[in-house]
Amino acid sequence: MEVLRGLRYVFYLIFHPFDGFWDLKHEKKGNLGSAFVIVALLSITFILRRQATGFLFNTVNLLELNIMVEIISVVLPFTLWCIANWSLTTLLDGEGSLRDIVITSAYALTPLVIINLPLILVSNVITLDEGAFYFFFIGLSTVWAAMLMIVGTSVTHQYSMAKTLVCTVCIIIGMGLIIFIGLLFFSLIQQVVSFIATIYKEISLRF
Amino acid sequence: MKSRICLILSIIMVVLITSTAFADAPYGSYTYDYWGDPVPAPAPYVPTRLIDGESLGIGPLRGANDLFVSDSNTIYIADSDNNRIIVLNDNWEVERVIEGFEKDGEEETFNKPQGLFVTSEEVLFVADTDNARIVELSPDGEFVREIGPPKADIIPANFEYKPMSLVVDRAKRLYVIAQGVNQGILEFDSEGTFRTYMGAPMVSANILQYVIRLFYTDEQLSRTIDFVPTEYNNISMDSDGFIYATTSSISVYDIQGAISARADDDRVAPVRKLNATGTDILRRRGYFPPVGDVHFHSRGYFDGGQSMFNDVCVDDYGIYSVLDNRKGRIFTYDGDSNILFIFGGKGNRLGQFNNPAALSKINENFIVLDKTGSGQGQITMFEPTDYGRMVIQAVSHHNEGRYEESTAAWDEVLKFNANSELAYIGMGKAYLDQDEFYTAMQYFRLGNKRDYYSKAFQLYRKDVIAQYFGFIVGTLFVVFIALYVRAKLKRRREVEA
Repeated sequence: MEVLRGLRYVFYLIFHPFDGFWDLKHEKKGNLGSAFVIVALLSITFILRRQATGFLFNTVNLLELNIMVEIISVVLPFTLWCIANWSLTTLLDGEGSLRDIVITSAYALTPLVIINLPLILVSNVITLDEGAFYFFFIGLSTVWAAMLMIVGTSVTHQYSMAKTLVCTVCIIIGMGLIIFIGLLFFSLIQQVVSFIATIYKEISLRF
Repeated sequence: MKSRICLILSIIMVVLITSTAFADAPYGSYTYDYWGDPVPAPAPYVPTRLIDGESLGIGPLRGANDLFVSDSNTIYIADSDNNRIIVLNDNWEVERVIEGFEKDGEEETFNKPQGLFVTSEEVLFVADTDNARIVELSPDGEFVREIGPPKADIIPANFEYKPMSLVVDRAKRLYVIAQGVNQGILEFDSEGTFRTYMGAPMVSANILQYVIRLFYTDEQLSRTIDFVPTEYNNISMDSDGFIYATTSSISVYDIQGAISARADDDRVAPVRKLNATGTDILRRRGYFPPVGDVHFHSRGYFDGGQSMFNDVCVDDYGIYSVLDNRKGRIFTYDGDSNILFIFGGKGNRLGQFNNPAALSKINENFIVLDKTGSGQGQITMFEPTDYGRMVIQAVSHHNEGRYEESTAAWDEVLKFNANSELAYIGMGKAYLDQDEFYTAMQYFRLGNKRDYYSKAFQLYRKDVIAQYFGFIVGTLFVVFIALYVRAKLKRRREVEA
């Protein structure tokens, strides 16, 4: 019930972002459950977009569709964004907690779901000549979500617009850094493991 | 009992003998689909004959570099390291061997002649490479004239002229490719005077190179080569007088860029079709640009690297074939640069090459000159299979405007090769013409042809809407009535309450 109430609030939030995000945090209009539902819906949207988009607009090889990859392509950037956002704003006097950030970010992504899901249906009944509408709405959903993301960050952390923009750029760099360190970590672990394995092999062969 | 065994054995014998009708090709033929993946295809051509110097009775061919089939199906071979030109009739019998000619009363010979051209009047032009001249010989082998190095202000004094390949157009103009020349094709007029360079490939430089150069010192700059245009390595002419030229000096990065961008312009062009002004007019409408292999390992791997074209052979209807020297493959494209066939390979079996140097066509058969096939020059002849013939037929019928025959041929092609996207597209077009939009859509989908699919779909959608128009309007009408009645009833109930 709580989740449903949170989801219904989305339709108010996307049209009134400033009030919406404020109440989301201070009036506890949203909750983690509905945030996860939105991210799950977004994953489903991405899978369906690859699988069910009409032939004319579907330029990927369906034989190579991998649902796990599609899910990861939504969940991983989202997680990275939230972590980088939290790490940075904690240092930069941000007022949002990690919970606030997750909820805000998930809610900001809703235009991607509510525009793209119907678009998948529409793409099956339009021709290439009418493709301009299709691409317009895809662009619209992306721009809308990006703007909500920025407004959401700004309201949650009580930042000025300039500070938010700088912060957003830094967050994106931070996401890159996390990926880099992650890869470095895995690579080093791999080296250590293979080093120990080699020593073990050497010793066991010798005696 | 004994007689029965004999009978069975003899039946087996008969079956065995009659079933060896077709020799297997020693290569896997394939094409590329819309996604750039190689998909298997039946062999379009199979090797049927191998001819070398020994079998011709004139001693081994050494370093043979060019092969030309004239309009009368006479075959000319430039046996470069033996300094001779071999002339064969279409039964592969030696007609004559041109070792030299008499010029101004003196015997002269060739010196590593690398290129040949024969006009429709059987006038022979030889690119006498190491003598730095083009020699024109009459049909009976009499010396007519020689055309020496080009003379012009734009040519540096220390320029060493090494003509490699040439064509002569109907106005008797000569187009010559010379070694180390990257300004384009040398054009001589009918008098043999150098006119101009034509068809110079565009210089390609990427942003990265510019950035790197910004950090170079003057000394480093002076030591790096300038951005140079690619040089051509071979040239051919089609029946309309258009020049086809190949080059193999395009970097693998440029090739890969063109493939992944599905480029349809002439910026990265290992094969070009040039008109008289030197403009590239090759139609590049295939799913990928005509660069040979679309999917290949990077260099360093076994079998790695992009295709390296070193000859091109043009057929009717703009169908052209290029020879990939690196992998010994022949790529045949139609006039829109859709890939038709890929066959051939490297090796020592019949139908494989070591260092293929020239590609030509005699009637419907391909002939390939291998410079060092098992140590010496040899020529392999390929005959089309039923499948190969059918594809060519489908393409040529389409170009002649005989669409019904073309459709029938594509239908036949599909029985051989269910991977042929071109066949699906051909069938789709036929169904589109017959107003069978839904079937057309299915075929275009199989052929991954989105623009035609869109056309068929638009018409199909119109049909469907027209068919259900009454139903849709009727439903809407009923819904409106229902809503109206409901609103009326509600109001009455409110009034009563």
